[in-house]
Amino acid sequence: MPFAPSSQKTGLNGWLFRALMLVPGGLLGCGLIVFSLGLLVFLSLRHNDGSLLGVGLTLDNFVTLAQDPLYARVAGRSLVIAGLVTAATVLTAYPVAYFLAFHAGRYRAIILFLVTLPFWTSYLLRVFAWKIVLAYNGVLNSFLTGTGILSSPSLAFLNTPAAVVVTLAHAYAPFAILPIFTALESMPRSLFEAAADLGAPPFATFRRVVLPYSIKGVLAAVTVVFIPTVGDYVTPALVGGPNSIMIGSLIQVQFGRANDWPFGAALSVAVMVLIAFVIGLLRQADRRGEKAA
Amino acid sequence: MTCREKSSTVKKLSTQALALAVAASILAPVAPARAEEGKLTYLTWSGYELPEYDEAYLKAHPGAVDISVFGDDDDAFTKLKAGFRPDVAHPCYDKIQRWNKAGLIEPIDTSRIANWNQIFPIFRNLPDIQAGDGKVWMVPWDWGNTSILYRTDLLPKDVEQSWNLLWNPQYAGRMSTIDAVHDTPIVAALVAGVNPFDLSPADMEKVAAKMREQRPLMASYTTDMTSVEQSLASGALVAAMTWNASAVALRKQGVPVAFMKPKEGMLTWSCGFVMIKGTKNKDLAYDFINSRLAPSSGQHLIENNGYGASTSTAFAAVPAEKLKELELPADPEVMLKKTVFTGPMKQAEELGKLLEKIKAGG
Repeated sequence: MPFAPSSQKTGLNGWLFRALMLVPGGLLGCGLIVFSLGLLVFLSLRHNDGSLLGVGLTLDNFVTLAQDPLYARVAGRSLVIAGLVTAATVLTAYPVAYFLAFHAGRYRAIILFLVTLPFWTSYLLRVFAWKIVLAYNGVLNSFLTGTGILSSPSLAFLNTPAAVVVTLAHAYAPFAILPIFTALESMPRSLFEAAADLGAPPFATFRRVVLPYSIKGVLAAVTVVFIPTVGDYVTPALVGGPNSIMIGSLIQVQFGRANDWPFGAALSVAVMVLIAFVIGLLRQADRRGEKAA
Repeated sequence: MTCREKSSTVKKLSTQALALAVAASILAPVAPARAEEGKLTYLTWSGYELPEYDEAYLKAHPGAVDISVFGDDDDAFTKLKAGFRPDVAHPCYDKIQRWNKAGLIEPIDTSRIANWNQIFPIFRNLPDIQAGDGKVWMVPWDWGNTSILYRTDLLPKDVEQSWNLLWNPQYAGRMSTIDAVHDTPIVAALVAGVNPFDLSPADMEKVAAKMREQRPLMASYTTDMTSVEQSLASGALVAAMTWNASAVALRKQGVPVAFMKPKEGMLTWSCGFVMIKGTKNKDLAYDFINSRLAPSSGQHLIENNGYGASTSTAFAAVPAEKLKELELPADPEVMLKKTVFTGPMKQAEELGKLLEKIKAGG
């Protein structure tokens, strides 16, 4: 049995086995992550002259980035939109996860299944579905004019930052529900009884016991929703107007029409640094929370 | 060894095998995205992929064409630069110089184009397509206009026939414009009163100011003409910059629209076929281009899309009253006396970057 795990892992076989097992992961990690990131950073330090090395390296791309207030403004807009999406997603996901963990009973499996159901449809189709809901002659406007709440259809739903937030929040809901659910699920039920025995009313139990217990899941949800939405460019392109152009669109344009890959790479690097900074802040909050607890 | 142990060993082994297979498939040399031999790959504007255009070709070579579409020929350019290699592509005339300089295209022998002499001389003699020695860089196929398509019932009857409509704050949020360098910036330059095809730095500032003034009024910048047509039909938009085909499509649906004749001039463009350098399907490419220049193909283009064909024989196949309904003159030279022809733009790249920055709010 060459692959049996043994307590003394000193044998040549054990060493060989572990080395072999690391090969695929190592290749994937180095090839697809370290190498690509390295390439991106290298690209961001180049001139846009179409050659590989051209006239050496430069910091020009980053200087342009820092000097033109447009990029800071668009990055800020992306952070705000992604922040709103994250807040909307986590706030609506928490009750769902709570219900799933404590009250769903025998319906848990079917509700979990329903939560993941939207993933069976293509993301583009879901965006177009929102277009149909929010359009000038769409479902929402027809309802509002039909019931007399509005006298004429409103243009305020589609092609606005709000449309981007709603669409993204819907798309990312399962990503927030699942980690919060997992965190709540692992909570011993006896904690409820203990809290009740000590005289805590339900809201205090939630605030002092359940929420701190699930905060890791909430932070995981925040991370999982926030990071991809900052860079999203499909959604603003389809349901957002000129006021919801996000940093992802600007990056895409550099690799597309503007034909300036080095500048696009510099923008990507800058966005990565920005996100890393935000995530760093989150983790620090997490650690401080742990110390306080 | 118990049965259970055995099955777990098998599982581990199969997991390893799977991981190796995945790693191998990822590391395997990726073949360049080159077109298959014996089947033509054609890169074109979305909306131009209809089989009606290729009747003769498809009869001779059933199923021997793969069509890939783009929303804007600048996007097509970067796709080619990134390594996509179709056999034939369909950019517009103003891009030929740039594509040629980038070494993407190869000359086409006009002696192999049966209907070459039926192409209107004004297109046949375009300066940038001449490759010398009876060869050309592009075979012109279609031409058309860019203007404002507006709802006659939602705008006043006597609305001024001018591009300035797209700067009228009264219709803020109910207009859209085309997200392409050869449309929106050219119109901004016309309205600013400068030459769109060669801009001094001071002119560039004027164009930028005009475009900045326009941005808050636009509901969207897009090349997705289907959604523009839907928004015009629903009344969400009252006016939009479009091409002829949208006017024809909406009239067919019975939407009250008019295609404006702005006093500053509509834009007229012409596009055509280029052969991508190194194509292995040269014979098929010539068959394809010849089939598109057949009168029946051009007739479809005129009657279904409202665009002009490049050949006089295609125009001859269309009844005069149909042309009148489509507002197309049988001779493009008549049209071009009143319109602005989109030729190569010296500052195309700068304008492209400017358009992107202004769209994002810069």
